[in-house]
Amino acid sequence: MNNRNYNIYFHTHTISGIIIAALLYVIFFAGSFSFFKDEISAWQSNTSYVKNKELALNYSLLLDSLDQKYDLHGRDLAFYLYPNTSTSYVSMEASKDTVNNLKAKETAYIGYDFVKQKESSYAETYDLGEFLYRLHFLAQLNQAIPLRVGYPVGYLIAGLVSFLFLFALITGLLLHWNKMVSNFYVFRPWAKWKTVWTDLHTVLGVIGFPFQFVFAFTGIILIVNTVFLTPFSQLLYKGDMEKVFQELEYGALVEAPFVNKPLDKHINIQQYIDRTQQLWPNAFINRVTIKNYGDEGMMLAVESEADHRRSFAGTGEVLYELKTGKVLKQRSPYDTPTYIASIKSFIYRLHYGDYGGYFVKLANFILGITGCVVIVSGILIWLVAREKSSTPAYKRKFNFWLCNIFLASCLTMFPVTAFSFVVVKALGKVDQRMIYQVYFYSWLMLSLYYIARRNLNRTNRETLLLGAIFAFAVPIANGICTNNWLWNTWMQGARDIFFIDLLWLILGALALWAYRRVRQKQA
Amino acid sequence: MPAKKKYLTTSILQRWLKITAGFFGGYGVMITFFLMLTYFFERKNVLITGVVAGYILWAVLLLFAFLSKSGWKIWIIYLVLILLFSLPYLLHTKPYE
Repeated sequence: MNNRNYNIYFHTHTISGIIIAALLYVIFFAGSFSFFKDEISAWQSNTSYVKNKELALNYSLLLDSLDQKYDLHGRDLAFYLYPNTSTSYVSMEASKDTVNNLKAKETAYIGYDFVKQKESSYAETYDLGEFLYRLHFLAQLNQAIPLRVGYPVGYLIAGLVSFLFLFALITGLLLHWNKMVSNFYVFRPWAKWKTVWTDLHTVLGVIGFPFQFVFAFTGIILIVNTVFLTPFSQLLYKGDMEKVFQELEYGALVEAPFVNKPLDKHINIQQYIDRTQQLWPNAFINRVTIKNYGDEGMMLAVESEADHRRSFAGTGEVLYELKTGKVLKQRSPYDTPTYIASIKSFIYRLHYGDYGGYFVKLANFILGITGCVVIVSGILIWLVAREKSSTPAYKRKFNFWLCNIFLASCLTMFPVTAFSFVVVKALGKVDQRMIYQVYFYSWLMLSLYYIARRNLNRTNRETLLLGAIFAFAVPIANGICTNNWLWNTWMQGARDIFFIDLLWLILGALALWAYRRVRQKQA
Repeated sequence: MPAKKKYLTTSILQRWLKITAGFFGGYGVMITFFLMLTYFFERKNVLITGVVAGYILWAVLLLFAFLSKSGWKIWIIYLVLILLFSLPYLLHTKPYE
């Protein structure tokens, strides 16, 4: 490799890395936990989905209760369901019948737990699983920065971070290309710090490369695919983004005109759902759309994902005209998927890691946390490589200042997350506001404390210790507050709840071990 | 260990030219490249392929801009490419039906 290119790779890798480091750390850390979003929800709400697997959403019951409360006549409804959780979401549009429906203008978006058969607002269903999931694409920034740029700011920043991450991955790979094989076997934990950080960064970076690459580019697609699609919608679809999404098979295409004549018979939605489920054995019905409720133009669209053991990418769709009961359109999830469907499913499966049970999720979790280590070691290389007498004092001061803030705010995420789990369990009933306050305030205070201490070793050491203590406290809190001790959940078969407790126990043990190693080395 | 200065762009103007060429020019090249493909393959399949491959292509184009010797040159190259790739769109009178 010629020297010029090498140095350009080096410099662009450094700069792009520095710019995104802190946010990328947050994305990786929160994202790793998001693999267990549903388990965390089960853990927090104390409702195991695994235990209640045979229960399913009872559409008749839910629709009746919604009808009484909101008057569904003339509305479009959508049900969103997720595998491994009993919480589903229902959105209700305004009614097209503004004469007879007195509540026509009201719209609603609610959560519904079909095990508890309880309806609640979105803010009430908001839990730590949702919080960490949304934190990993910086959704909370949308509310924090009320800047109107045509797209939520947090998502835009997350998209930019993942794009620069992709760039840093490419330059990083090229940078190490020549020495990749030889360096792979080099790990010198007893050498000086700069060498340790470099080896760590290189080896873990190379091992994790395929994983990180996949997450960088699927991440961009999931968060800002409008950046790619907008010009095309302008040039080829007369600016009709809806049309583009239809073309790309997002959401069932339902063109259902409102007739404004009440349907003279009662429709049993449940029956249609059951029929569809029988048609596609073991497929997961993930979205149910009802158009023009109670009108002659009433339609029902059911969408599903194939059983991943039988088909990796299959998605199914069926459209019923309810006045006549006719099937207007149908595609089985077990048919050979279209090119578009397979690419899209591929992106989702890869990013969510939900195709192979706990093993795949756990492997992804470990690689995600490894990503955090790569980021931190990268920053430390940057600092240590510039700690020499030839660097002017003001620059060294600035470097330390930056590194200090970075480490203080990133490394505190571990104890803060564990702490939030404990607090949420202890408080019992929490909503979105409460979770924001617990998480963000404790994060802010702890970061400020370590920024003020200005000691990188201490930050590292103490966050490990604090994290270990709170991590051990998580299963204990769960035991004391809800009697869900590890052995109880195991025996009841509440595997999802058990898993979260076990995960924290292992994380605590690992952190404690790391803490002791760090202390020995520093002593 | 930091990259050696003598290999890097020192002129601020050049640096900005390269960054803008890579980010905006690269984006334009990437978009028009797929726009061109829509005239040869089925449109929706090109779109979904672009959704997957586009960002990687863009990142590579960003890197090319940094590797180029002159910021002016890379801007010209990217502009020419953009023009070239948009020809099918510009020549077709009715792109959508």
